[in-house]
Amino acid sequence: MPKQVTVIGAGPGGYAAAFLAADLGMNVTLIDKEKNPGGVCLYRGCIPSKALLHVAKLITEAGEAKEWGIEFAKPKINLDRLREWKNEVVAKQTGGLGQLLKAKKINFIQGTAAFLNSSTLKIKKTDGKTEEHKFENAIIAAGSKIATILSLDIKSKRLLNSTSALDLPEIPKRLLVIGGGYIGLELGSVYASLGTKVSVVEMLSGLLPGADRDLVSHLAKRIEKSYEKVMLDSKVTEMKEVKNGIEVIIKDKEGKSITDTYDYVLMSIGRKPRTDGLGLENTKVKVNERGWIKVNKQMQTDDPNIFAIGDIVGEPMLAHKASHEGRTAVEVINGEKVAFEPMAIPAVVFTDPEIAWAGLTETQAKEKNIIYETAKFPWAASGRASTLGRSDGVTKLIVDPETERLLGIGICGPGAGELIAEGVLALEMGANLTDLKLTIHPHPTLSETIMESAEVFFGQSSHLHRPKRKY
Amino acid sequence: MSKEFKLPELGENIESADVISVLVKSGDKIEKEQGIIEIETDKATVEVPSSIEGTVSEVLVKQGDKVKVGQVLIKVDENGKEEEQKKETEKIEEKPEEKKEKAKAEKKDEKKKPSQEKPKPKGEKSIVEMKLPELGENIESASVIAVLVKEGDNIEKDQGVIEIETDKATVEVPSNVRGKVLEVLVKEGAKAKVGDTLIKVETSEEVEEPKPEVKPKEERKKEEPTKKEEKKKVEEKEGTKEERKKIQLPGKDDQPPITKGAAPAAPSVRRLARELGANINDIPGTGPAGRISLDDVKAYVKNINESVGAAGRGIKKEELLDFSKFGKIERKEMTGIRQKTAQHLSYAWMTIPHVTQYDKADITELEKVRKEMNQKAKDNKDKLTMTAILAKVSASALKVFPQFNSSVDMDKNEIIYKKYSHIGIAVDTENGLIVPVIRNADIKNMTELAKDINNLAEKARSRKISLDDLQGACFTITNLGGIGGTAFSPIVNSPEVAILGVSRGSYEPVYNGEEFEPRLMLPLSLSYDHRVIDGADAARFLRWVCEAIENPMKLLVEG
Repeated sequence: MPKQVTVIGAGPGGYAAAFLAADLGMNVTLIDKEKNPGGVCLYRGCIPSKALLHVAKLITEAGEAKEWGIEFAKPKINLDRLREWKNEVVAKQTGGLGQLLKAKKINFIQGTAAFLNSSTLKIKKTDGKTEEHKFENAIIAAGSKIATILSLDIKSKRLLNSTSALDLPEIPKRLLVIGGGYIGLELGSVYASLGTKVSVVEMLSGLLPGADRDLVSHLAKRIEKSYEKVMLDSKVTEMKEVKNGIEVIIKDKEGKSITDTYDYVLMSIGRKPRTDGLGLENTKVKVNERGWIKVNKQMQTDDPNIFAIGDIVGEPMLAHKASHEGRTAVEVINGEKVAFEPMAIPAVVFTDPEIAWAGLTETQAKEKNIIYETAKFPWAASGRASTLGRSDGVTKLIVDPETERLLGIGICGPGAGELIAEGVLALEMGANLTDLKLTIHPHPTLSETIMESAEVFFGQSSHLHRPKRKY
Repeated sequence: MSKEFKLPELGENIESADVISVLVKSGDKIEKEQGIIEIETDKATVEVPSSIEGTVSEVLVKQGDKVKVGQVLIKVDENGKEEEQKKETEKIEEKPEEKKEKAKAEKKDEKKKPSQEKPKPKGEKSIVEMKLPELGENIESASVIAVLVKEGDNIEKDQGVIEIETDKATVEVPSNVRGKVLEVLVKEGAKAKVGDTLIKVETSEEVEEPKPEVKPKEERKKEEPTKKEEKKKVEEKEGTKEERKKIQLPGKDDQPPITKGAAPAAPSVRRLARELGANINDIPGTGPAGRISLDDVKAYVKNINESVGAAGRGIKKEELLDFSKFGKIERKEMTGIRQKTAQHLSYAWMTIPHVTQYDKADITELEKVRKEMNQKAKDNKDKLTMTAILAKVSASALKVFPQFNSSVDMDKNEIIYKKYSHIGIAVDTENGLIVPVIRNADIKNMTELAKDINNLAEKARSRKISLDDLQGACFTITNLGGIGGTAFSPIVNSPEVAILGVSRGSYEPVYNGEEFEPRLMLPLSLSYDHRVIDGADAARFLRWVCEAIENPMKLLVEG
């Protein structure tokens, strides 16, 4: 008799789980309120934002080409067509997933689900009908939702969040982004390239909290140029809608209050678990004090037949983490002795330049008193970076000096998100710096910066003269 | 004088045990032989009796701890009350060590509680337990790095009680109550689970719920000097921090655990190890900087399988079926005794070439005598049992056939002969099979043996047996006669070389040369280790046992 599993939520975690379960011959039900799988990532997150960021990059590069003797006229932006194109990208991807559902014979129910007990779900279908659904195993993949600061959550069309900002209501003259994290900076970059004067206000002392400062510095320099204003150690204390804009009071570094009016404000301060309405109180599933569902390494909740994966079990809230967790949960249900225990989960910020890291960061190494060494290769020494006109990048390796094993990697520069994958593989394989040094990388590419960083560690880089320090 | 009571030797190869319950608390008066803790080893659940007497001043273990042989369990004040001792040490010349301790304590008090002289707030005093609060996402336990308070300390709210290390950080756990520490239930190096009681505090205040979040150590340190004066400020700061935490973006403490210690092995290698049930961190890597390859994992697992015994070689493990395919199932963890029984008997079965010899003893006359004698017995405990008779007979048989009282050392190609006769008696308890041992069965009479067996069986069933009572047997008797059966093949309790199985006696027609006569026959099954005992010897041994039962004079003449 085939095993049965019901997956709640069809984001990148949920559909990856459902697909694998179907491939393993299980009887699979997938529940989501959208017509097709995709979740936040495809409908309102990664995919649409990257489509727009690609456009932003094109506009920026066309402008920069002037330096190289190629001059374009100021671009004419057809916002309706741009929005349509972005929607087409989303529709193509989600539609493709819908096809896969059929091919894999997954029972897809459009609606929302709540637990009645540890083996029954109540499903409210989009067509208005309600049904009770028995399950043997359930995987909660209901994801996260946008967090807001309640006191600032004014009812205004001019107050955007990460979802409505992707809908490009218009090209504002001035936009204020609250929160200097990756969502705010990515969307801010899109609007900046379309001609908006963007300002960002961040409560902490630097952009992208958590990322190593030497990686962020290149991005910060570029943002200072392309944005109107970057306000650190500052916070918005009041907001109100005025004619044609939102009046904002910002308490700055010195404690002074600044009043300014922006056409639009984008609040992007993070995400929180979407546990409400799931009926978890009718099960043995437990959440921690911050609301994330508690799971073990097998992604199993305190209710043995209920698993949880993805954003709803906590940070990092990343699609690729969710899909791997989803696959782990399914393998466990399939009776395999496995665990979710990666060495590294890569994080990528798709700004320009991109920032990506995996494994141990320098910040963490310092916090945890781990003895480490770094080996850095500035992109100014990379031939490929020069041909792109982009020397504002760096590749950094974090190394265990005793075993010369790679513990972490951080990259800043165009294409960092693609380059990081090699670092993740190296971390997973337990590679040491000799391995990286001896692996032939194609020339001229940006990937060489990883090999050259390893050479720097040994004081043997071809393109960067930095002899090994004598101790 | 304060004395420490340490976990005594538990027996061969037993280095540690799990604490099931702690039977004394601080302030208790204890006597010698009084049970201090109840522990579970691989072999049995036993009480550890005290070897000293006095007043318990400190209990250093708690339920769920793993304790090692030699580890201090409790501190006992032999003179009696701790209070008295304190006075004494104050009056009389202080010993340097104690002086130091005291000075330290005073200094600590000064530092942490400048307002010590103030009278305590009036009101009813209560004793509260301070528990380890929730530590954060997915953190269920932490290692205790340092215990920052001790019994008798006056502590303030928010004062650090212990320093713990989780996967994520080293943090101080602050007290949620102000008062006097009565008892410290954690110790350095131990693991503490969320919800475990850390200290007991006598307080006259109401207690707040434990704080859900503990502050990183460094921040606490910074705060400490200005704590009193700037309490308000601190609160304000905390408020902001809370807010910051709430809006913090992903990317802060979200990276998976690659740190220096992580085993260098590829994902496929780690997965194989998990499948084979090996801990990747235990596997030595042969690659550069100890990198672990697929072959390393296979070699490691193969090695472990082989070390189980030469007989295990060439036996391929068969995977279990997925029984849920056929119907409902339930999985339950094996108890410690079950695990040990399974491991031990598999080992015995694989290493010992077993043969079982069957015979029957005519107990018609013996039963008559036994019943007559038992009618005279005043106490049930004095009653003669068949097991006691068999213990006596077996002990005598071991003298006549010394190869049955031996063990084999295959590494040295030697046979070890024992000059004592301790008989193991298999006892069926609700916790599993336990085999208490009767010492020197050869020099005790049957009534004494019956009493001993009775006592030990009772102790085994009530979990009060000591590990001494479970070790040193030369030969085992397993009597299933009370339940029934005509014969069975017991497994030799290695490193012994023979075991006597007893089934239920029944009347059978026995031909006495002229006619069939109803005789009460007792079926006996003797399993033996063919490495040291030959079939003819076994037949002779069992026959001797039968004849001794039929004609007890044999015991006096030969035994």
